[in-house]
Amino acid sequence: MEPLLSINNLKTRFHTEDGIVKAVNGVSYSMKVGEVLGVVGESGCGKSVHALSIMRLIQIPPGEIESGEIWFDGRDLLKLDNNDMRHVRGRDIAMVFQDPMSSLNPVYTVGFQICEALMLHKKMNKNEARHRAVELLTLVGIPEAKRRLDNYPHQFSGGMRQRAMIAMALSCEPKLLIADEPTTALDVTIQAQIINLVVKLQEELGMAVMWITHDLGIVAEMAHTINVMYAGYIIERGNVRDIYKRTLHPYTFGLLGSLPVIDEAPGTKLISIPGLPPDLIDLPKGCPFYVRCTYRVDQCKFELPPLMESESSQHTVACWRWQEIDGKGTK
Amino acid sequence: MGRYILRRLISVIPTLIGVTLIIFLFQRLIPGDPAVAMLGEHATQENVERIREQFGLNRPAFLDREALADGDLTGFFDSQYIRYANRLLHFDLGNSIHRRIPVVETLSERFPATLELATLSLLISLLIGLPVGIASAARRNSALDGVTMVGSLIGVSMPIFWLGIMEIMLFSVFLNWLPSGGRLSTGIVITPITHLLLLDSLLTGNIPGFVDALKHIAMPAIALATIPTAIIARMTRSSMLDVLQEDYIRTATAKGLAERVVLFRHALKNAFLPVITIIGIQAGTLLAGAVLTETIFSWPGIGKWVYDSILGRDYPIVQGVTLLIAIIFLLVNLIVDISYAILDPRISYD
Amino acid sequence: MAEINPQDTEIVDFAIREHRSLWLDAWRRLIANKIAMLGLFVVALFILTASLSHFFWKYDPKSDLDYSSKLFAPNLVVTEDAPAVHIFGTDKLGRDIFRRVVHGGWNSLRVGLVSVSISLAIGGLMGLLAGFFESIDMNFWERVTLMGLLGLGLGSLSAWIAAQFFQIFLFSGLGIFSVVFQRWKAGKKVRILAFAVMGMLLGGVSGLLVGPLVGLVCGFLGLGVGMILARPLGGKLFSDVTMRIMDVILSFPSYLLAIAIVAFLGPGLEKGMIAIGVVGIPVYARLARSAVLSVSQKEYVLAAQAVGESHGRILFKHIVPNILSPIIVQSTMGLANAILSAAALGFLGLGAIPPEPEWGAMLGDSYKYLSSGAWWAVLFPGLAIMLSVLGFNLLGDGLRDALDPKMRI
Repeated sequence: MEPLLSINNLKTRFHTEDGIVKAVNGVSYSMKVGEVLGVVGESGCGKSVHALSIMRLIQIPPGEIESGEIWFDGRDLLKLDNNDMRHVRGRDIAMVFQDPMSSLNPVYTVGFQICEALMLHKKMNKNEARHRAVELLTLVGIPEAKRRLDNYPHQFSGGMRQRAMIAMALSCEPKLLIADEPTTALDVTIQAQIINLVVKLQEELGMAVMWITHDLGIVAEMAHTINVMYAGYIIERGNVRDIYKRTLHPYTFGLLGSLPVIDEAPGTKLISIPGLPPDLIDLPKGCPFYVRCTYRVDQCKFELPPLMESESSQHTVACWRWQEIDGKGTK
Repeated sequence: MGRYILRRLISVIPTLIGVTLIIFLFQRLIPGDPAVAMLGEHATQENVERIREQFGLNRPAFLDREALADGDLTGFFDSQYIRYANRLLHFDLGNSIHRRIPVVETLSERFPATLELATLSLLISLLIGLPVGIASAARRNSALDGVTMVGSLIGVSMPIFWLGIMEIMLFSVFLNWLPSGGRLSTGIVITPITHLLLLDSLLTGNIPGFVDALKHIAMPAIALATIPTAIIARMTRSSMLDVLQEDYIRTATAKGLAERVVLFRHALKNAFLPVITIIGIQAGTLLAGAVLTETIFSWPGIGKWVYDSILGRDYPIVQGVTLLIAIIFLLVNLIVDISYAILDPRISYD
Repeated sequence: MAEINPQDTEIVDFAIREHRSLWLDAWRRLIANKIAMLGLFVVALFILTASLSHFFWKYDPKSDLDYSSKLFAPNLVVTEDAPAVHIFGTDKLGRDIFRRVVHGGWNSLRVGLVSVSISLAIGGLMGLLAGFFESIDMNFWERVTLMGLLGLGLGSLSAWIAAQFFQIFLFSGLGIFSVVFQRWKAGKKVRILAFAVMGMLLGGVSGLLVGPLVGLVCGFLGLGVGMILARPLGGKLFSDVTMRIMDVILSFPSYLLAIAIVAFLGPGLEKGMIAIGVVGIPVYARLARSAVLSVSQKEYVLAAQAVGESHGRILFKHIVPNILSPIIVQSTMGLANAILSAAALGFLGLGAIPPEPEWGAMLGDSYKYLSSGAWWAVLFPGLAIMLSVLGFNLLGDGLRDALDPKMRI
């Protein structure tokens, strides 16, 4: 089947006064229709930037999409003119952002902001749009939706705002929903509600979802496939089972190790990855994880490992020593 | 909403009292005997006494404790300031020393000229400053933005009295295109309705009158508008830039809205809030700047009047006009605050 | 291949770039900014020419008069008509405009520095204290001082009416007393009543010594003072009062107030400096207050409080360095503003007294002779004002960009 989204060697840079920040360094992968993809990594690993690049929401300048292709629905998004790209945004690909407190315009009502997209993409008139907006707000679980429509964002709680953002994103039934850490700024209980909401809606509407997070625990429950990113590279990619059960990259190991596990014996220490990610302005020549890696050899210092197939074509890893690591992490 | 306006109105009262106190204290700044200063050095003793009596200068400034010790409670409160405040409450700003006519009378005659000049300048500065500010924010670091930034800094640094002089030199002395001063050429009559000549001439369909009034007001209005235009452009730009960084702008773009819609619907309304405050402050700048502009262009408004009065040491006029301008400025800021509350749903009214 | 133990790995942090101080960083950004550098150049040129000419190029404005060379156009070479070189021409009294423009710079520089110092010293300090005590609770001694001064201030009216100056000390004592017995919480109403009675007795009894009516008035005043002092007033009060006073000054359009003050004081450069300085006070007070308010919510200030550092130390070690940037920017722009206002005053004949060379006054002198076509007499002094003001504004603008931490990536 034709993939929904296919990214080929995407490179995104930011020109700052300190130098060029190489935020995304040749990312390639594809997503199927209705697939749930988890993108995982530390902050600053390029996961958000690559998502914003898909939407072409990178500010240019200082940002620049240096090269690559983003095929969506048979078109290369990077080659579309601004006008065509506008019709992709919101209608075909929608996005939910991290901070619900600042993602809604404070001087317009929530209803207006939802109706705006409907009127634009669905060519609805004001009444139809309002009617649909009530349905959407009800769908995302906002009680008394009709009354809430005329509220301003500051009258909503954080969780409610994120629900409203999701309603806004879903309004035009997009084929792909990109959720950029939508639960990071929320309370843990609200987090779970939002995650369940998106999972439920994904199943009902059959859209593809890209869920970006730094928390492997979250995507474990919902994703089909996982991309682990580090320093602007995908360093491991596979289906959820493989990533958790047959971890191949030392960094993924570290990420898994730093997850608290409930049934672990008391007193077991959480493993943390020593050190910090590399400077994106001054990337090392070899493996970007080299300095922090416990499995490093000289080859790692001088040669950048490409994303290579492991035991199956579905599970790829960028590590010279994956064969030695394979199986070691099995719990 | 009504309660908010009421509360805001009440909060003006102490400020207003403070303003009258400061203006009252001006008198005390006059070196030597204020009565003599008012009359000039060759005044007769008799006249000096009369002025003292008239302005209550023989009374203490604030409270008369000696009267109180004598058991005279009304005498205790009978002071210069209380008399001054009492006169103000009756819209009495005193009499001009030289012309002996009430200040209020001349004020109502002169004020429309200043109002017309200031309003036109404010319009000019809004019509230029806002679009330029928005455009240069939308095209940050473009050539237009560079020109705006440097141009607005030059505008802010412009001594408007010098700009006025250079305008006269170029357009009146060398090119002889525009009249160098006044409001209207002799021989042209405009039937007064609002006393704003441009408006009146339009209302009465007096086209030659309109053209003549426009020719007279053009140079002073441009000179006066320079600084506000520059400041409004800068403020609009930086406010827009701030807002364009906001997450909700990204949300709006992600929705698929056109750049124009994002800019004018989502960014402008937010960016406009701080700009309103600046516009309010510019109203003050315009009124104060009128003193310089009107002096240069012999514009028969209150600014030129203040200047003449300062030279002639006609203190009641200076006090009266300063008070009027301060009150207008306070009112403008009050309106700004209220419109802020209307535009920003986050501000609660009570 | 041998297993590598985690213990053996040395940790290299690539993310930590070469360490740079904030100020050095700002300086680098400043010198990278061409427009700001232009401003710095203009400012440096202005300061240099003004001070060098003041100290090394003698000029006596009183004796500078030469009717034979009245209103000469600028000339660069000596000709028969123009026996001397006047690159900016001469004015109506035959004075060399170039010389007067250069010497006028000294006056503008003085006005700028003095008036900004006045505004900054008074306004900055008031704003600093207002912001500090608004966000951080006063300690015992600060409260004693505040209430003592408050008692002193409020009581002085009563003392003045009765002409008994010992009364202000009584009221001051009442203020201090109210702090010492702050913890005495025998009911809020009882407390207020008690202090009201105490105040009334203080004022009334001593007033009665003068006359019955004086006793009555002072008694009422004392009642009010006592009630005010009974409330647990703190830094918020100080801040409110300060800012209210600033509001009053701000309700006059900026230099209208300066014009009015000087109109009553009489002309003079020094009076102009004071007037411009006073008018600028609220700008710095507001700026300092809001800067302190935002900084004092920061964790490092809370941490300093938590470890019990003294208020003076917190203020000057933690807060002042962190609010310097906006103050520096504002002061630079304030210099520009002061020069402009002084020139406006001079132009209106309210600033420097002729024949003192001052740009605004030179313009004011010459513009009446415009119809004679002597453009040079107004062009050059005006250009001098504009360029020096522009220089400070460019520099201030560049400084803001350089010092704004938001720009740090």
